Amino acid sequence: MSFVRTVQPDLRKKRINWQKAAVIVLFAAVPLFLLILFTYIPFGKMIQFSFYNMSYTKNKGFVGLDNYLKVFTKPEYVDAMLLSLYYMAGAVVQLALALFFASVLSLERIRGSGVFKAVLFFPFLVNGIAIGYIFKYFYTRGFVLDSVLQGIGIPLEALPYWLRDQRINNWSLVFTSVWKYCGQNMVLFIGAIASIDPTLYEAATIDGANRWQQFKAIILPGIKTVFMLNLILSITGSLSAFEPAYVVGSMGANGTATFFIKIHQMAHVSQKVGQACAMAMVLMALILIFTVAQRLFFRYVMKDSESTFNAKANKAKALW
Amino acid sequence: MKKLFSLILAVCLVLSMASFASAEEKTLPTFDQIVLGENTDLTAKIHFAYHRTDIPDKLNGYVAEFRKIYPNVEIEYELITDYAENALMRVDNTDWTIMGIPTVQKDELSKYFVPLGSLDTLSGQYNFMSSWSFDGVCYGIPSTGNANGVLYNKRIFAEAGITELPKTPEEFIAALKAVKEKTDAIPLYTNYAAGWTMGAWDAYIGVAATGKDTYMNQDLPHAKDPFADQGNSTGPYAVYKILYDAAAEGLIEEDYTTTDWEGCKPMLNNGQIACMVLGSWAFTQMRDAEGGQHPEDVGYMAFPITIDGKQYAPAGGDYNFGINAKASYEEKLASMYYLKWLTHESGFAFSEGGVPIDKKGAYPDLYAAFDGIDMLSDADALPGEETLLSELNAESELNFNNGGNTKVQEIVEHGFNHDKSFDDIMADWNTAWSEAQTSLKVEVK
Repeated sequence: MSFVRTVQPDLRKKRINWQKAAVIVLFAAVPLFLLILFTYIPFGKMIQFSFYNMSYTKNKGFVGLDNYLKVFTKPEYVDAMLLSLYYMAGAVVQLALALFFASVLSLERIRGSGVFKAVLFFPFLVNGIAIGYIFKYFYTRGFVLDSVLQGIGIPLEALPYWLRDQRINNWSLVFTSVWKYCGQNMVLFIGAIASIDPTLYEAATIDGANRWQQFKAIILPGIKTVFMLNLILSITGSLSAFEPAYVVGSMGANGTATFFIKIHQMAHVSQKVGQACAMAMVLMALILIFTVAQRLFFRYVMKDSESTFNAKANKAKALW
Repeated sequence: MKKLFSLILAVCLVLSMASFASAEEKTLPTFDQIVLGENTDLTAKIHFAYHRTDIPDKLNGYVAEFRKIYPNVEIEYELITDYAENALMRVDNTDWTIMGIPTVQKDELSKYFVPLGSLDTLSGQYNFMSSWSFDGVCYGIPSTGNANGVLYNKRIFAEAGITELPKTPEEFIAALKAVKEKTDAIPLYTNYAAGWTMGAWDAYIGVAATGKDTYMNQDLPHAKDPFADQGNSTGPYAVYKILYDAAAEGLIEEDYTTTDWEGCKPMLNNGQIACMVLGSWAFTQMRDAEGGQHPEDVGYMAFPITIDGKQYAPAGGDYNFGINAKASYEEKLASMYYLKWLTHESGFAFSEGGVPIDKKGAYPDLYAAFDGIDMLSDADALPGEETLLSELNAESELNFNNGGNTKVQEIVEHGFNHDKSFDDIMADWNTAWSEAQTSLKVEVK
C-alpha cells in the first residue's frame, strides 16, 4: 500500500502539470500570436518608419530625428497639441458632472432614478459619427440650438455662430464629447458608490454628518480607484480627440484640427508616412507622460486624503 | 539540295516582296481622308469593347443607323463593367477591333493601335486630340469632352442686372456684389464643409489662369514663386484671390461651417444660390436636382480670368477610341468609317452634354457661354518627370488637385475673419513650394 501511495501522487502531480502547461500554452498561444502580429510588429514598424522619409510606395531614405524635430518646430503642430487643453478642460467638467449625478442618484431616493440613469447613459450608446451629424444640425444657424435659445427669449442676432466663430467653436466641439462620455463616467461612479458599505452612511447620519460631509468623507475615498481610472481615460482621450473635430468640425476645418487629425491628414492626404509615424510616437509619449504624472500626483494627494480619512475614522472610533 | 534551298529562298523573297507591295497598295487612309458614303460594299466584322454599360440601346441604335450606309459591316458591342482593368489586360490581344484606350504607356501606343493621322492635321479639325498622341501621331479619337467653368443661376444674374457674363476677377466680384445688393440669393456658395468642393478650385490654376496647357504638369513643378501676384489678374494668385475677396466682403454663405452638399443642388436650381465653382459634371446634377423647380435657370460659364483678351477653359477628352493594330485591313478600314460616323453623325457628345469632338459640331446648351473660349487639356508631364508634381504636392503639403482641401478652406477662414492678408497666405504657399523644390532638388526656372 505504501508503495502505491508514494507513487500515485507523484504520477498525478506530473499529469496535472503537463495538462496545465499544455492548456496554458494553447490558450495563450492564440491571443499572443494575434497580439504580436497585429500590435507589436506594426508598432515596431511604426518606430522604424518614424526615422524615414517615406510614402506608401516609396522610401526616400533614413532621415534620423528630422521627423521628430519637425513635430516640435512647426507651429501648426504645436497649436494642434494645444487644442487638447480644450478637451482636458472639458474632461474635468465632465467628471465633475458625472460625479454629481452619480452621488445624487445613489444617495437620494429619487423617484424614477432608473429613468434618469438611462437617459444620461444613452448618448454613450450612440455611434460617434451619428453624434457628429446630430450636432452638426444642432449647431447650424437657425436650427436646433438657436431655436431653443430663441424660444427662451434670446434674439437670433445676439447668438453666436457656434461653429464658425473661432473663439467658441472648439468649446462647441468639446461639449459634444462631454455629452457623450458623461453618462459612461456616471455609470462607473454609481457602480463604485454601490460597493460602499451602506452602514457607513447610517453611522455618519447618526453622527450628524450632512450630505456634503458624507460625500467628502465616505464616497470620495471609497471610489478612489474608479475616479483615477476615469480621470486617466478622460485625459488621455482628450489628447487623442478625433471624432468631434472630424465630423462636426468638417475634418478639422476652421482651426479645430486636433493633433490626431493632423496625423490623419499627414498619412492619408500628403502620404508622408514617416512623418505621420513620428507624430504618432510623440502622441503616445505625451499620453504616457500624462498618465505617469497623474499617477504620481494622485499618489501623494490621495495618500494625504486617505491618511486624514483614517485619522478621522480613528478619532471617531476613539470617541465611540 | 542546294538548288532546292536557293529555290525556296527565291520564292520566299518574291513572296515577301509581293506582300510588301500589296501592303503598300493597301495603305490605310488617315482619319481626315475618310469620306463617309465611299466603299459602301465594305465587308467586315467589328468587335467594339467599351465601358458604357448604361446605354446599350443607344449604342445598338448607332449600329443600326451605320448599317444603313454600310450594310455588310457587322458591329458587336461588348460593354464591360470593370473596364479600365479589363481593357488594359486585353490591349495586346486580337479579340477586339475598337476599344476605349486604357492607360497604356504612350511610347507603346503604336504597338497596339492604328495611327489615325498627324496631330497637326487632326487637331485642326477635332478637339482634345493630343491626349493619346505620341511623336506627333494620333492613335485615338475622343468619344466626348468635358470642360470646367462656373455654375450660375441665369434668372438671378438677370435680376441683379448682369447683362454680360464677367470675364475678369474684378468683374466677377462686382457681379457677386450686384447679386448681394439686388437679390436675396447667396452670391457665391463655397460648400466649405464638404471639403473636396473647396479642393475643386485647384482645377482652375492651370489652363484657366494661365492659358497654357503646359502649366499644370510641366511649368508649375519648376516655377519660382508660382503663387505670387502677376499684377494682371491672372495666374494661380488670381484664382484664389477671387475666393478670398468674396469671403472678405461677405459674398459667401453666412454660416459656411455647416454647408450641406446635397442641399445646395436645389438651392442653385431655385435661385437661392447665384454661383458655384465646380466642373461641368456638376451641371446635370444641379439641373436635375430633386426639389429643383427651375432647371432652365441653371447656367454654365467660363472661369472669370482673361489672358491677353482671351478666356480659356480647362477641358479634357473622355475615353478615346483606338483601332487594333493587329486587325485585318478590311476591319481597320471599316473601323475608320465607323469612328468617323460616330464623331460626325451620331451626335453622341451632344446628347451626353459634352464638348463636341468635331470642331464644327454643335455645343449643348450647357456651353452656350463658351463661344470663343479656347478649350485646352493639360499637357502631360515631361518624360522622366511623371511623378514630380505628386512628390512636390506631398512634400509641400499643399496637394493641388490631390485632396488639398484644407489650404483652400483656410483662405475662406482668413478672408472672412480678416486675420491674415491674402498676400501673406500666398507668401506661405510660395515658401512651402520652394522648400519642397529644394528638398527634392528640383531645378527652378
